[in-house]
Amino acid sequence: MLIKDLKRDFYDAIQHQRVLILVAFDVDALCACRILQYLLQCDHILYTIVPVSGKEELEKAFVDNSEGVQHVVMINCGATIDVVELLQPDETVTFYICDSHRPVEVSNMYNAVQVKLLMKADDLTDVPEFDEVFREDDESDESGNESEDSDGLSKRRKMTDESIARRQDRRKWEENRNKVIFDYTKFSSYGTAASLIMFEMVWKMSKDTNDLVWLAVIGVTDQFVHFKTPRDKYMEDVMALQSHVSRHNHRGEEDESLLSVNCLRIVFDEELQLSLYRHWSLFDSLCHSINTACKFRVWTLKGQKRLHEFLAEMGMPLTQCKQQYTAMDSQLRTSVKTMMQEHMTKYGLTMQDIVLPSFWAQYGYKTKLCASDVVLACAAVLEGVDKNKSATDYFLDAQDILQRSNTGWLEKGVVLAKRQLTALVNQVQTFLDMHQVISAGPFLYVFVQEVCSALLCSQSKVVF
Amino acid sequence: MDPAEVEFLAEKENISIVPNFALEQIYMIGGDLGPFNPGLPTSVPLWMACSLKQRQKCRIVAPEWMDVEKLSDKKQEEVDSKFFTPMPSRHYLEVSQLLLQCATDDIPRADEVKTLIKDIWDVRMAKLRSSIDIFVKSDATHAKLNHLTLMEINTVRPFLTSALNLLHDLRSNLTAGGFASQD
Repeated sequence: MLIKDLKRDFYDAIQHQRVLILVAFDVDALCACRILQYLLQCDHILYTIVPVSGKEELEKAFVDNSEGVQHVVMINCGATIDVVELLQPDETVTFYICDSHRPVEVSNMYNAVQVKLLMKADDLTDVPEFDEVFREDDESDESGNESEDSDGLSKRRKMTDESIARRQDRRKWEENRNKVIFDYTKFSSYGTAASLIMFEMVWKMSKDTNDLVWLAVIGVTDQFVHFKTPRDKYMEDVMALQSHVSRHNHRGEEDESLLSVNCLRIVFDEELQLSLYRHWSLFDSLCHSINTACKFRVWTLKGQKRLHEFLAEMGMPLTQCKQQYTAMDSQLRTSVKTMMQEHMTKYGLTMQDIVLPSFWAQYGYKTKLCASDVVLACAAVLEGVDKNKSATDYFLDAQDILQRSNTGWLEKGVVLAKRQLTALVNQVQTFLDMHQVISAGPFLYVFVQEVCSALLCSQSKVVF
Repeated sequence: MDPAEVEFLAEKENISIVPNFALEQIYMIGGDLGPFNPGLPTSVPLWMACSLKQRQKCRIVAPEWMDVEKLSDKKQEEVDSKFFTPMPSRHYLEVSQLLLQCATDDIPRADEVKTLIKDIWDVRMAKLRSSIDIFVKSDATHAKLNHLTLMEINTVRPFLTSALNLLHDLRSNLTAGGFASQD
C-alpha cells in the first residue's frame, strides 16, 4: 500500500522499535541508507543494516536477522518481487519498501496490512486497478451449487446455466487479467531515487542538514550517471534539490566571512561532463568519458587525430593537457568550459554532451568535489574484485567514502574508478578491432569471452 | 588532573539554546532543566546543549563574550598588562572548543574567533612561563597569581610540582653537607 504521509505512517511507527534495514548494492541505496541512519541515530532507534545483492541473499538475510524484529525497511530492493510470499514472515512484521525499481509487484501495491510503499504517487500511475487483478473468490459458491443434488431437473438446469455464465465471466476476467499483467510487467524502469525520497521525508521533519542535501545530490546523480533515468527526470530532480541547496547555502553569499571555512558548501553549477577530469589529465578524461570517446571515436587513429585537432583549436597546449589537471595553468583551467562550448559543434558534439547542470561541494581547503566524480569513485569501490574481501566489506568501504572526513578513501576510490574506465575503453577497443560485434536484427550484441580482472563488475554500461 | 577531567567540569557551564521540541521540566540531581518550548530560548548546561545540537533538536546561541570585537579587545588588554586579566569565563578554552566543534554554523565568524582565543591562550601561557622562571630564579618561597583558569593551572601542574620537588631535594643536599656519602 502506498503511504502518503511518510513521517506519520513510517517514522512514527518505528519509534522505540528495532528495525532491520536491507540495502541493495548501489550508490543511491547507500546514500538513502546513510540518510536514514542519521535520522535513526538522532532519535536513538536500534537498527541492523544488512547489504544484499540479490534475491537469495535477501531471503537469507531476512531469515538470519528477523528474530524479534517487527519492522523491515528495504532500500532499492523488494518492490518487484512479492515479499510476503517470498519471505513468509509472521503476521506482525511490516515491510517498508523504498525502491526505485519499477514496475512494482501488484501484490505489494495492494497489500494494505503488511507492505507499505515509500514512493511518490506520480511514479505509480500505471499500476493496474485492484478489480482488474484481484477478485473475490466465488468458486466455492459455484461448486456448492453444482454439488447440490436436490430438487427438479429444471432447477438444476437453471443453476447450471447460471454457473456456465459465471464460469464464462470468470474466464474472460482471467484473460483480461493476464493481458493487463503482461503489459504492466513488459518493461522495467526506474522511478525517483530512494535517497531523494528519504531526504524529502527528513525535510518535512525539519531535520535536514547540508550533509544530507549532499547525499541526496549524490543519489540522484548516480541514477543519471548509470543511465537509469532520462535527462528530463534528472533535470526535475536537480531543480528540486537546487531549492534545498540554496536554502542551506545562502549564508555564504551575503557575507563571505560569516560561515567557517570548515562547513560544507554546495554550489549549483553547469559541470563539464568529463569523468574525473579534476583528478586526471584533461586528455585522458576526454578519451575515457563516454560521450566524448564515442563522438571522437578515440579507438581509431583518425579519431585520435581529430581529438588532437580539437585541443589545438581550443588553444590548449598538448603537453599541459596530458599532465594532471591541477597542474595546468589557472587561466587555461578557467577557460576550458567556454572553449569547449565554442568549438564543439564542428566536431559533432552537442551541448548536452558537454555540460550537465550539477553540484559541487567544498569543505575546508581541500579540492572541489563534483557529484559525478563521487558517484564514480563510490561505484568503483562497491564493485571491487579482491577475492579476500567479502561483499559486506565493500559496502562498508563505500560508506567510508561518503563520510566527509575520509579523503584518503576518496582518493583510492578515484584511482579504482580510473582503472575501471580505462579497462572499459580497452575492452571496447578490442571488440571493435576484432570485429566481434554481431548484428542480430534490431540490436547489436557482443559475446564477452575473456575479461580482464578490472572489468569484473556488474554495472558497467557500454553505449554504442 | 587529566585535561579530559577539566573539560568534564567545564561542561557544567550554562549556555543559551533555542530548542525545536517541547518537553516539560525535568528534575535532575544537579538542578532542574526546562521546560522546553519550541522557539523560546532557555539556558541549559553545555553537555546537554552539545548533545541536543548533534541530534538536530536545538540551535545554540553563542555566548556574548564569543564575539570578534570583544575578544580582540581582551587580547589587547592581556598583551598590555603585566599581570593576568580576568577572563570572560572560567573555562573559556573548553567552552569555545566544544562549541566550535559541534555548532560551527551557529557561531558567526567562527574562524576568527578560534584564532583569537588561541592567541589569548598563547599570551597567557607565555606570561605564566616567564613568571615561573622568575620565581625559580629568585628563590622565593611563595608566589600569588590572580585570574588563572583551571585549564592553565592544569597544564603546568605536573611539571611545576615535580620540578620544584627536585629542586628542593638538590638544595637540601647541597646545604646538608658536602661530606654526606653517596649511600
